[in-house]
Amino acid sequence: MNRKITIDPVTRVEGHGRVTIHLDEYGQVKDSFFHIVEFRGFERFIQGHPYWEAPVLVQRLCGICPVSHHLAAAKAVDQLEGVDPKDLSPTATRLRRLMHFGQIFQSHALHFFYLASPDLLFGMDAPVEKRNVIAVAVENRELAIKGITMRKFGQEIIKAVAGKKIHGILAVPGGVHKTLTEEERDYFLNGKSIENIDTMIEWSQAIVNFMKDYHEKNRKFLDEFAAFPSGHLGMVNDEGGLDLYDGKLRAIDSEGNITLDDIATDLYQEYFSEAVAQWSYMKFPYLKKVGRENGWNRVGPLARMNMCDFIPTPLAEKERQDFIAFTGKKVNNSTMYSHWARLIEILHCAEVIKELLHDPELMGNDLIRKGTPRLKGIGIIEAPRGTLTHHYEVDEKGMITRCNLIVSTTHNNDAMNTAVRWVANNVISRSGNITDGMLNQVEVAIRAYDPCLSCATQAMGKMPLHAELYNHLGKLIDEKYSN
Amino acid sequence: MSKMINITIDGKSFQAEEGKNLMLAAKENGIFIPSLCYYEHIEPPLGTCRVCTCKINGKFGPACTEKVSEGLSVAVNTPELMDTRKALVEMMFAEGNHICPACEKSGNCDLQHMGYELGVSSTRFQHLFKDRLIDFKPSRMVMEHNRCIKCMRCVVDVTTTDGKKVFTYQNRGNETFVGIDYEQEARLTDEQALNAMKVCPTGAIIIRGVNQSEPFGDRKFDLESTQKDYNKKPVLTKRLVAMEKKMVATVSLAGCFGCHMSLLDIDTELLDVIELVSFAKSPLTDFKNFTTRCHIGLIEGGCCNSDNVETLRLFREHCDILVALGECSVWGGLPTMRNAIPLGECLEEAYLNSVTSEAGNTIVPYHEDLPKMLDRVYACNEIVKIDYYIPGCPPDANHIWKAVKNLLWGEEYSILYSEFKYD
Repeated sequence: MNRKITIDPVTRVEGHGRVTIHLDEYGQVKDSFFHIVEFRGFERFIQGHPYWEAPVLVQRLCGICPVSHHLAAAKAVDQLEGVDPKDLSPTATRLRRLMHFGQIFQSHALHFFYLASPDLLFGMDAPVEKRNVIAVAVENRELAIKGITMRKFGQEIIKAVAGKKIHGILAVPGGVHKTLTEEERDYFLNGKSIENIDTMIEWSQAIVNFMKDYHEKNRKFLDEFAAFPSGHLGMVNDEGGLDLYDGKLRAIDSEGNITLDDIATDLYQEYFSEAVAQWSYMKFPYLKKVGRENGWNRVGPLARMNMCDFIPTPLAEKERQDFIAFTGKKVNNSTMYSHWARLIEILHCAEVIKELLHDPELMGNDLIRKGTPRLKGIGIIEAPRGTLTHHYEVDEKGMITRCNLIVSTTHNNDAMNTAVRWVANNVISRSGNITDGMLNQVEVAIRAYDPCLSCATQAMGKMPLHAELYNHLGKLIDEKYSN
Repeated sequence: MSKMINITIDGKSFQAEEGKNLMLAAKENGIFIPSLCYYEHIEPPLGTCRVCTCKINGKFGPACTEKVSEGLSVAVNTPELMDTRKALVEMMFAEGNHICPACEKSGNCDLQHMGYELGVSSTRFQHLFKDRLIDFKPSRMVMEHNRCIKCMRCVVDVTTTDGKKVFTYQNRGNETFVGIDYEQEARLTDEQALNAMKVCPTGAIIIRGVNQSEPFGDRKFDLESTQKDYNKKPVLTKRLVAMEKKMVATVSLAGCFGCHMSLLDIDTELLDVIELVSFAKSPLTDFKNFTTRCHIGLIEGGCCNSDNVETLRLFREHCDILVALGECSVWGGLPTMRNAIPLGECLEEAYLNSVTSEAGNTIVPYHEDLPKMLDRVYACNEIVKIDYYIPGCPPDANHIWKAVKNLLWGEEYSILYSEFKYD
């Protein structure tokens, strides 16, 4: 028998996708595929354009984390201007960091409160009418207000530095085009117009505690659901601490052995390759030296929690210690712990934002630096969903001749396929018929990775699913929709 | 002092200096006549764009080339003239490849500004998507022919210190483009080069190193309209009757989900909205199929593939009102940058020639479970009838909800100038 579960819509960056799980005549999983069914062609159509347009142009890849694309492209474009990250002015660096941490804060808040919380609050078998944030708002108004306000805070940070909440502009080649005024800074500190940063830290701590309580009650589920060994990739600073804006690339295998030893980001193409499958427009990156089969890595909050030595803010570091204590400091390969890791990062972001808001360099006027132009620029950043790579090559006149993008969700392609296979093997293949709860479990597994395609399809709940049951002769014998 | 004479504009009498340009005379009397090619110190005026078309003494003609005289009678704001001028601006958007979200002149662009002033929210003409040159040969500037509206301002106004022209028209008709004398261009002073960028009403002349120098809010056309009465409509501050709960569907086609994010940017007002609307088929809920007819469908994104087309048609079938939300659904948006390039080239670049492709092991995905790619990206109105357009990348949250409330309950509203944007 075959079952085909469709997740729609998904795109390479956002948009349309489809999961198909095929079972043989004995009801065992034969194949499962997570198809990404859209393609945009940014790598080609950006060619021929001036490189300085890239940070504004490519951020349209994504409406949920445009800041990450804006800044990854900006880091690459800085290099084309001959400016390395360390050579940016202190003010430019701080403003960009503030924007980036505001972005991750809002994106993680969006994911947890708008996307994931219905599953955790109501359970995977909840009726379809309840699996959305509207039901969360109706049943737990206070939680909904906190979630909405936290997302708003991050969006307001972005607007303060970039002029717009979505697709704003801050970075220009070699720096930034505006600074922050005292009035704009105080907006986030004095609590007169919006909840201030101290409240954000307090609420972030509270939501981490909520997750720890949930963990106490649901540990078996969190430990086992869609758990599988994999590598983990992320960025660290010179001391090995978590750095979401800049640093070196580090990867570990499922046992914690180093597979990529803090390499400079501009060397990424020497270490990574991308496989292509016939059935998906999304590629499959992997570490060349480990090989296609085992060289793929998870990226994002869980990966970052696993591979960093510490988090450089005190409250989040204490939470990381608690987090790793549950696995006896071994690598955590349980998909559902992504949510916990994400909430620790929310706390970390709030702490960093507070530090930055109190840093006088934030309001300086030294905004743009110049260097000796180069022909290649590679910008890598830790986006909310993981390691994001922008690579541009230009001719001597500044025209883009080549572009390579590896978006975070691409790194998680194998992981999401493995998670889907886990649900197929452990949930679906053990049953004679498809239930709505089973379909939702496929989505729960994918949702933990907060893929960009997930953002596009399930902003407030889950992805719509369509399941078809075929017999071994390929004839459709049952069909079910998730509603 | 020049002699003052009497003229009539839209049936009202005004006084103006005899011989004064009609554009200026009207402006001094508080009358807004849209224009693009008109540039005050270019004399005689160019009269190339025709956006200032009025009825002058009973005949259609450009206001910018007219000098006022005693008894002149001008019609400016008749429905026919307003629609004609709007159509002219729409044609310019359709003829070039104007993608405001990707343009560094955005916010300082006269064409974009005229679109705002005339309320151009979509175009009635099919976009041409011609493959146009971006010329990197000039030493000081980049000539972006996708954005040129052939107004002739640069041809007439940009010269070297010794009076040599830098730009000239080449070819004829639809093949006309502005050619550059590279030798003279290299002789421009910094100030002259910057002036060339300023003279250009769009982003066709870009000086290297001058990019996005002004933040949002500080750009020339960000906040204030040229018209005193821009989109002035009565605003109801109080709801008089209980509002009937409405059913809303939303979808993201070939968009980036930014429009859905903007929907959420009303923040805690969302809690009020869900008292008034229920979400049916939408990424906001788990409903996959339409289980009920919807009052309104909000569409984000254009159509890249066969699935997009099928979904859009399904929405048209099940929704009373269909709203195209954001640049991608209204004009095709940034994804249309691939429309001038063969699809095969885009696929080859991504899968066969990528820096990180597997050597000797590359394929272009093709599978029965992947929908068919379309030859190009289509705006929604090229596939189905669209009832209302909200441009922007993404549209302002207030703009979206004001429009939706108006469409659902007939609530009167005013979209502020600062809320109506293309980028």
